[in-house]
Amino acid sequence: MGLLDPFLLEALVNGILLGGVFALPALGLNLVFGVVDVVWLCYAELVMVGMYAVWFLHTQAGWPLALAFAACLPVVALLGVLLHLLVVRPLLNSPPINQVLATGGVLFVLQGAATLVFSTEFRSLGVDMPPMEVGEVFVSGTKLAAFCAALLGAAILWAFLKFTYVGTAIRAIARDREVMPLMGVDPRRIYLIASAVGGALAGLAACLLVVQLDVHPFVGLSFGPITFMICVMGGLGNMLGGFLAAFLMGLIISVGGFWGTTEFSYVVAFAFFILVMFLRPQGLFAR
Amino acid sequence: MQTRGTPRRGLLQAGAGLGLAATVPAQPRAQTAPARGGDPLRIGVMTDLSGPFAGAGSVPLFNGAEVAIALFNERGGVDGRPVAAVSADSQSKADVAINEAERLLGQEGLEVVTGIYSSAHAVPLSGRFEAARKMMWITSAIATAVLKDKHFRYVFRPTVHSDQYAEGTVSVVAENAQKRLGMAPEKVKLAVIYEDGPYGTGVSTAIEANAKKRNMPLVLKEAYSATTPDLSTLVTKLRRERPDIVYQVGYNPDITLFLRQARSGGLRFRMLFGHGAGWSQIDKLWDTFGKDIQYFCNADPAATQMLDWEKLQPGVGDLARTFVERYSAKHQVRDLPPHASMGFNNTWIFLEHVLKPAVRKSGGMTAEALREAALQVDIPLGGTIQGYGVKFEPPESAMAGQNSRSICVVMQFRDGKSHVIWPSQIGQEPVLPLPPENPYALRS
Repeated sequence: MGLLDPFLLEALVNGILLGGVFALPALGLNLVFGVVDVVWLCYAELVMVGMYAVWFLHTQAGWPLALAFAACLPVVALLGVLLHLLVVRPLLNSPPINQVLATGGVLFVLQGAATLVFSTEFRSLGVDMPPMEVGEVFVSGTKLAAFCAALLGAAILWAFLKFTYVGTAIRAIARDREVMPLMGVDPRRIYLIASAVGGALAGLAACLLVVQLDVHPFVGLSFGPITFMICVMGGLGNMLGGFLAAFLMGLIISVGGFWGTTEFSYVVAFAFFILVMFLRPQGLFAR
Repeated sequence: MQTRGTPRRGLLQAGAGLGLAATVPAQPRAQTAPARGGDPLRIGVMTDLSGPFAGAGSVPLFNGAEVAIALFNERGGVDGRPVAAVSADSQSKADVAINEAERLLGQEGLEVVTGIYSSAHAVPLSGRFEAARKMMWITSAIATAVLKDKHFRYVFRPTVHSDQYAEGTVSVVAENAQKRLGMAPEKVKLAVIYEDGPYGTGVSTAIEANAKKRNMPLVLKEAYSATTPDLSTLVTKLRRERPDIVYQVGYNPDITLFLRQARSGGLRFRMLFGHGAGWSQIDKLWDTFGKDIQYFCNADPAATQMLDWEKLQPGVGDLARTFVERYSAKHQVRDLPPHASMGFNNTWIFLEHVLKPAVRKSGGMTAEALREAALQVDIPLGGTIQGYGVKFEPPESAMAGQNSRSICVVMQFRDGKSHVIWPSQIGQEPVLPLPPENPYALRS
C-alpha cells in the first residue's frame, strides 16, 4: 500500500474535510474564551439551536435554504448575546468553576428545551449534494461545500479582527484585559460583541453541520467534546491554534481509522492529546 | 398531514411525569384507566424518553407499554386491582439507569421493573436486580451477554436475543445466494459494522459465528461509537473491501450518518441488513431517505401488523387488533415500529401471565411470587401478538431467564412498510440483490 493508494488519499481528504467540521466551533469557542475568559461549555448546544433554526425555517416555514442559513446567524448571535448578558456577565468576577458550572447548566437547559419543543425525533434537512469522483477517490460534495464555507468564514473573521477598529479592540482585550480599559476601550461592550461574533460562528457551524448530520437535542454530543479537546490542544483562547488543531485532529482520526480501526483512531487522537498536555500544556500553537 | 412519532404534548407529559417521579414517591404515570377498587399494584417502567435512544425506538417501547397497562386496567386489572406504573427515564445513560433503578427499588420499594431499552443498561442493571432479589423484566434489550452464563433467577427476557438476529440475516443470504445472487454462499463477501456497545457487539459476534459456520467470508468487521460525527473513513474501507452484503447494527444518528456518507462515498453493495433499534424506525428512515432504502432489510421481532392474525391462537388476534387501533389513534404512525409491539406485547405477557397468577396465588406482589409465576408461563407458538410463544429457560440453563420460544424475523422495506421475508415458511419472496436503479446497488 503506497502513498498513492487512492483509498489512503481519500482518507487524507476525508480527514481535512472533517477538520473543517471541527474548525468553526473551535474558532468561536476560542474567540469567546480569549476575550471574555469564560469557557462556554454549552457551545455545541448553541450550534444545535442553530441547526434546529435552519431545519424549522426551511422544512416547516418553507423558507428557501439560503434564507434560512442567513437567518440562522443572527438568531444564534442573539443567543450568544443573551447567554453573555444573563449568565456570563453576572459571574465575571466569580471563580472559574462557577462560570463553567453555569454554562454547563445552560447546556442541559438547551437540551431539555429542545426536547420539549421538538421532541426527541431526528430531523433531517433532506439536502444532499452529489459526490465528486476523481479516479477512484470520492469526495462528498456536501462536505466539500461545508469545508469551503468554513474557510471563508474563518477568513472573514480574520479580516474583521485585523482590519476593523472593533476587531483590533477585541484582539487587544484578548491580549491584556487589565490595561485596555485604561486606554479607553469599554470591555463590557467588547465582551458583548465577542459573544455575538462567537454566537454567529456557532450559527455558521450549524449551517454547515445541518446538511451533514440529523438534528436532535443531543447532537452536540457528536462534536462538542472533541471541539473542546481541539481548543485546549491548540491553546485555549488561541484562535489560529484551535483552527490548525482542528485539521490535525481530523487527519489523525481519519488516517488512524484507515490504518487501524475507527475506535483505534480515537484512541490515537486522545493519546496524542494527552501527550501534548504533558509536553506543551499551554497548547501546541501557543506563543 | 399526519404527525409522526411522539407528539410534543405526550413528551411534555412524560417529562412532567418523570419530574414528579423524581420528587414525589409513587406517582403513577402510565396508569390511564379508572381503578375499580383495591390497592394498586405498582410496577416500574424504565425506558429512555430522552437522549439518543429515545429516537431509536425507546419512546415507542414506552408508548406500547402504556397501552398495555391502560388496557389491562380497563379489563379489570387483577381482580379489580389496577396496575400503577412508576416511570423512569434512563436518559440514554447507563449511570442514570443505575441511579433510577436504585430509586425504584429503594425509595419506591418496587418488586419489579419492566422496560429497559438498551443492552448497555441491561448488563449492569441485571446484576443489581439479581443481588437485590427483585424482578427485572426486559422488554427490549437484546444482547445475549445480558443473560448468557449468568444463571440469574430474577431477570427475565420474553423478547429475542442477539444471536437470533444473526441467525436470521445470515440465513437469508445463505439460502438465497445461489438462486438470486448467482453465487455459492462461500463466495458471498460479508461485512459488518456495529455500534460498540453490548448490543452491537453481541449481534456482530453472532454474525461472525454464523458466517464462519457457513464458510462465508467476512471481509470487514469494525466497531464505531454511536455518537461519532464521521464514518467516512469506514465507508472508504468498506469500498476497498468490496463486500456483497453489508450488515449494520446501529441506533439512529449513526444509521443516517452512515447511509449519507455511504452514498457520497460511492459505496455500493448487493444488500444491506439492519438489526433492529434505529433500523426498526421505518417511518423516520423513509421520511429521510425515501426510495433510496427500498428493499433494504432489517431483523427484529415482528411488529404485530406484519402477521396474519387469523393464524394466531384464539383471542390473540383480537388483542392485536385492539392494540394497533389504540396505538394508531394516539400516535398516528404510518407503520407501527416493532418497538411499539415489543412494548405492548412483553408488558402484556407480564401483566396477564405473570402478575395476575402471582397475585392470585400469593395475595400480594413479591418478586419471589412473580419469579415463580414467570417460570410457570407456558404459552404456545402464536400465543402472543408478535407470534412467538413463551417458556423461560430455568436457572440451571446457560441462558436462564431467556424466552426459549421467542422468534426473530427478517423483514424488507417496500414502499415505506416492512414485510416479513424470513423465516421463509411465513415470509414473502425477498427482492435480492438490490435492483440496479437503487443508488446503493452494486454495478455488475
